[in-house]
Amino acid sequence: MTMLGAIALLLVFQLCGEIIHRLSGVPLPGSVIGMILLIGWLALTRREWPSLTAVSGWLTAHLSIMFIPAAVGLIDEGDALTQYGIALVLATIVSTVLTLFVTASVFRWALRFSEGGKDAAT
Amino acid sequence: MIALTAPLLWLAVTFVVFEGADSLSRASNRHPFAHPVLLATPVLIAILYFSGTDYRSYYDATFPLSFLLGPAVVGLAVPIWEKRALIRRLALPIGIALSAGAVTAIISAVGIMLAFGAPQDILVTIAPRATTTPVAMAMATALGGVPSLAAAIVLFAGVVGGMTATPLFNLMKVTDYRARGFAAGVSAHGFGTARAFQVDPTAGAFASLGMALNAVFTATLLSMAGLLLG
Repeated sequence: MTMLGAIALLLVFQLCGEIIHRLSGVPLPGSVIGMILLIGWLALTRREWPSLTAVSGWLTAHLSIMFIPAAVGLIDEGDALTQYGIALVLATIVSTVLTLFVTASVFRWALRFSEGGKDAAT
Repeated sequence: MIALTAPLLWLAVTFVVFEGADSLSRASNRHPFAHPVLLATPVLIAILYFSGTDYRSYYDATFPLSFLLGPAVVGLAVPIWEKRALIRRLALPIGIALSAGAVTAIISAVGIMLAFGAPQDILVTIAPRATTTPVAMAMATALGGVPSLAAAIVLFAGVVGGMTATPLFNLMKVTDYRARGFAAGVSAHGFGTARAFQVDPTAGAFASLGMALNAVFTATLLSMAGLLLG
């Protein structure tokens, strides 16, 4: 597969996801459905695609600038921010720290069952 | 402004401002507060404001950037697939911790906003706050929320997570880098992952896994909830 082939693959899977999204009415975004389809395709083909890894890695590495047009949209959200800004800040801080706490605690707890001394050496 | 030149003008302005923000971020050794999006966004808002440009024309002109988010989300399949051996080996802790973390993130954020009497469009905007930014924006759009607000919330969550993860885990005496990394990725997506890679390569690998899995899991969970609640 070439670089262009990898780009075509990503676009085709996004398109398939978008079609499924529109036809089924599932509120899962087309791009997320496309991601799930691509995992399925990778599982079916069972081989490495270096150019796909390169293209998706390049996109992930440059995600930040792709958010900018959306983030600038805050210019029109003054009302929501003055009304709920403090609540949003509080909710985000509490939710983030609590999620760190719960995920790490549960992972540590569950690790005991899956490793149960079996590969304590690793 | 001549309509024909609008994409060229605003893409040029956006790239120049972003590159400036990114070099400041690099100079700060990638401090979470100096994230290029956090630095560039206020500058661009000021430019739009003082030039009297309405947001719609800016958004349309810079659409090529937003468009790339779609294929980028599809491409998140690759890191998940490449970590399949890890997922299989630690399926139990990964599955349980992912479910617990994702549910905690959604319920705590939505619960607090409910307590403040926030309307539904704000609730569905904050619900995907633990997912990576492009997925949160897509989910906010799909559920009738506000994508720009979702981007701001998720970036802020990333800053908070990136700064609190290490001291919190030390306080909790979690020494296992798999648990630390995975939690950072689930709760604080790319910021948590970047922080985890600074601390330890194993933590980084588990953080990127946590981020990718949570993007799929939270999106699926929220879309099912969206179907049930109409």
